[in-house]
Amino acid sequence: MFALDSMLLELALQIKQEILAILDEILSLKGRGASFTSKTPLLGAIPELDSMAVVALITTLEERFGFSIDDDEIDGATFATLGSLVDFVQGKLTA
Amino acid sequence: MSSREIFFLPVGNGQRLCVFHPPQTSVERGAVLYIHPFAEEMNKSRRMATLQSRALADAGYGVLQIDLLGCGDSSGDFSDASWEAWRGDVVHAVAWLRQRTSAPLTLWGLRVGCLLASNVAVDLQERPNFIFWQPVLSGKQYWQQFMRLKMVSEVLSGDAKCAIEKLRQQLAAGNAVEVAGYAISPILAEGLAKVELDSPVRNIGQVIWLDISSREGGGLAPVSQKRIEQWQLAGFKVNAKVVRSPAFWQTNEIEDAPELIAVTIKALESLQ
Repeated sequence: MFALDSMLLELALQIKQEILAILDEILSLKGRGASFTSKTPLLGAIPELDSMAVVALITTLEERFGFSIDDDEIDGATFATLGSLVDFVQGKLTA
Repeated sequence: MSSREIFFLPVGNGQRLCVFHPPQTSVERGAVLYIHPFAEEMNKSRRMATLQSRALADAGYGVLQIDLLGCGDSSGDFSDASWEAWRGDVVHAVAWLRQRTSAPLTLWGLRVGCLLASNVAVDLQERPNFIFWQPVLSGKQYWQQFMRLKMVSEVLSGDAKCAIEKLRQQLAAGNAVEVAGYAISPILAEGLAKVELDSPVRNIGQVIWLDISSREGGGLAPVSQKRIEQWQLAGFKVNAKVVRSPAFWQTNEIEDAPELIAVTIKALESLQ
């Protein structure tokens, strides 16, 4: 049980790094993302994250992680914080 | 700085803004036609297209850029555009280039521009070579991703989630739809959704295929690899590479990709 937990934790960390790299690229954060924590709000807090950027983010997540996101899975709450986005990707990967 | 000629090319009952970058060397190495990507991606990539065109002109290539019907500073609204009209624009642009130069022709596309380049090649009298920058492989998939813009903006503003279904109904009823500030006619949506990045028949040449990735050491995506094999089977010689560069056609700020420019010129010079 403990081993499984630490594996999931490791996976979440990798996902977080990957998402930060993607966000940095799409939003031109120039490294600002390095200070982001799970609680950092994204949607509504980062002005660069407009609908075009969200679509670019979704497409890039699909390409990098190799899953596809159905239209009805897209919800504003997913992009609320860095943590909610990591949870969403982790859910897709372990589904 | 390179000289350039800006002019309006008469096409049908309208005109298309063109920019020609004449070769800056005594010997002309080739003629290149740039075909821009779709909607906002065109605006975001304008700077890179200009930088690459100038660099190619300095290296001895004559480069023509054309704003397709309803795009940039050409006549017509985006809602007037159709895939067929865009094919016609490319044929006109090639005819103009041919009045200026007889050097070997390369069609250089970015994203949906690659789809248009490969799709229009059958209408040409000659067999061009191709440069593909991050090619869109399927018009249908691209169109679905594009419609997501509408859905996401509605989801983000708290509206219901049936935006895409509504778009489909509007198109089916023969009405234009508005996505991300662009009005798109049912004919354009239908035309785009029918096109795949297939090798033109009876038109064997060479392809420079550059996938763009922001990370170090990434390989070609399996989907690209598969499509490249189809082009090779059709007889094309494909020089495929992954180039490290930001996704400048979609990034928030306008980004430069100097490595892409250098790799493109080197690959083009090694053709023939």
